[in-house]
Amino acid sequence: MTVRIGRWVLWFGMVALVTAVLVPVRSEADQSYIPLAYLLIVLGGSLGAGHRLGFALATVSFLVIDFFLQTPYNRVLTFGRPADFVTLAAFYAVAGVASRLLASARHERDLALLRAEQVTALSLERERLIAEVEHVAALREAERMKDFVLTSVSHDLRTPLTTIKALAQEEQRTGTSRAAEIEEQADRLSGMVSDLLDLSRLRSGTFGVEAELNAAEDVIGAAIRQVQGILNGRTVSAVIDARAPALYGHFDFLLTLRILGNLIENALKVTAPGSAVEVSPSRDERGLVIGVADRGPGVPEVERERIFEPFYRPQGGPPDHGRAGLGLAIARALAEAQGGSIGSRPRAGGGTVFEVILPAADEPGPDPQPGPGRILVDS
Amino acid sequence: MTEPGCILVIDDEPQIRRALKNALGEVFERVVEAGTATEGIDLAATAQPDLIILDLGLPDMPGVEVCQEIRRWAATPIIVLSARHAEQEKVSLLTAGADDYVTKPFSTRELIARVQAHLRRARAQHTIPSDGPLEVGDLTIDLARRVIARGEERLRLTPIEWNILRALVMAAGRTLTHRQIFEAVWGRGPGDPQQYLRVHVTNLRRKIEPNPGAPRYVVTEPGVGYRFELTA
Repeated sequence: MTVRIGRWVLWFGMVALVTAVLVPVRSEADQSYIPLAYLLIVLGGSLGAGHRLGFALATVSFLVIDFFLQTPYNRVLTFGRPADFVTLAAFYAVAGVASRLLASARHERDLALLRAEQVTALSLERERLIAEVEHVAALREAERMKDFVLTSVSHDLRTPLTTIKALAQEEQRTGTSRAAEIEEQADRLSGMVSDLLDLSRLRSGTFGVEAELNAAEDVIGAAIRQVQGILNGRTVSAVIDARAPALYGHFDFLLTLRILGNLIENALKVTAPGSAVEVSPSRDERGLVIGVADRGPGVPEVERERIFEPFYRPQGGPPDHGRAGLGLAIARALAEAQGGSIGSRPRAGGGTVFEVILPAADEPGPDPQPGPGRILVDS
Repeated sequence: MTEPGCILVIDDEPQIRRALKNALGEVFERVVEAGTATEGIDLAATAQPDLIILDLGLPDMPGVEVCQEIRRWAATPIIVLSARHAEQEKVSLLTAGADDYVTKPFSTRELIARVQAHLRRARAQHTIPSDGPLEVGDLTIDLARRVIARGEERLRLTPIEWNILRALVMAAGRTLTHRQIFEAVWGRGPGDPQQYLRVHVTNLRRKIEPNPGAPRYVVTEPGVGYRFELTA
């Protein structure tokens, strides 16, 4: 603002100065040079400070010429000659053209500055994006490496375990008394390998969940089949009401199978030979509920939640109780990954019921159109 | 006292090969072994084994290709050994012609039981569809006359349930993938085979199984498909 006022003062000062110089010599001076002097001022002012000052200088200069420097002297708007208006028009034209040139020069300058800023911003953005892409690629590579390491670790651990197991079984047939223990420990180690792999996959979120329509009794049947080898005189039975309609849920078959496997294994650990673990589906307002019931010592109220923590061992429990205490933690994480939950409650008459709650589903609608049907002929 | 039969073991780990040879040798007449896929394929042709045990981690050829190669000229049952517990791999191997899939570490007892089951199935193969009714457990299944009974009671199946049962029985002892069963029943076509199949298998089990929550006949191979058990 002060700069602008300063400019106005400067240029009007120039007008005053030129006038002061010309007035004493006005009678001798060539009349055609006088407007030229002022024209230079108008031009300078327009270029220096824009069209407002330009037009103001043009108007004032015209009036000053008219008043002081043109006969009759000291009278305004004498309109002596039409050429005077040509002078005025020339002043305005100069002011207009000069300030337009100035404005467009400024505009170009601003534009150039803006472009420069944009270029800077874009190059920064580009650098940021490149860094981001590199970061994502690095993360993906790390994830891939981790998967690769987990897969090879599991392969590298399982192959020697298979050999140990096979050798132990061979020794058992020849009557070596401790061979059965070797096999048992190899099984335990292999269970721990699976658990640790699962837990690390769950933690890193690389566990794929494929929730689909499934019958509760299908997954229960598969789970019971899976534990046949570790029964040791105990039984696991499915309690299904065959008169009621089958119960369906929306869940991942393999993950749910894993959950039930862990729960049934746990239940078997506290079940005496000759007793049974019961697995039964039901449906209530919480969803599809699959219960695994044992007749074990029960879970004290204070431990009801803590038993789902990784590596948690119940107070006074045997040292080898559970596989490094991961089974229930994995079961809970797997249930939650499918939008379900898991909990336990005391069983009427003693023992515990572990309940997996999964999203319930109704039996689906009509089939796709039955096709001609290709009969499978075994080769 | 050994059973007749020749078992070919293809595995690159000498210890596993030795252990399997010892365990199988106590049960079966003859056990031959190969350390590479190439050698295994050659032996499959020359030794005429009754069953092949194939490890997937062979250095010279992927397991799926070994299965396909052998299947080009032989129907010998193939049991695959894998260290990976991957259902997708099972599906592709079964589709490539393998008959069974055993995950490491396995017990040799279990493996021998499976070998015996597959040998029995392979021998009974020709008798199943043609030779009158098949009796398994308390079930009598007559594929030709489309009749199924549990004890004295005749069971009523829907056409789809019957088609599923027929597909499974004709491949008894061998796991059929969801896709294979779906194609046998509905024909080739789009659609989610698993969802419909699960519902019909659930209904079928409720008719033929003593306890649908612990099936003896139609068993689930998790993530892969279903299998009809002859040894129920």
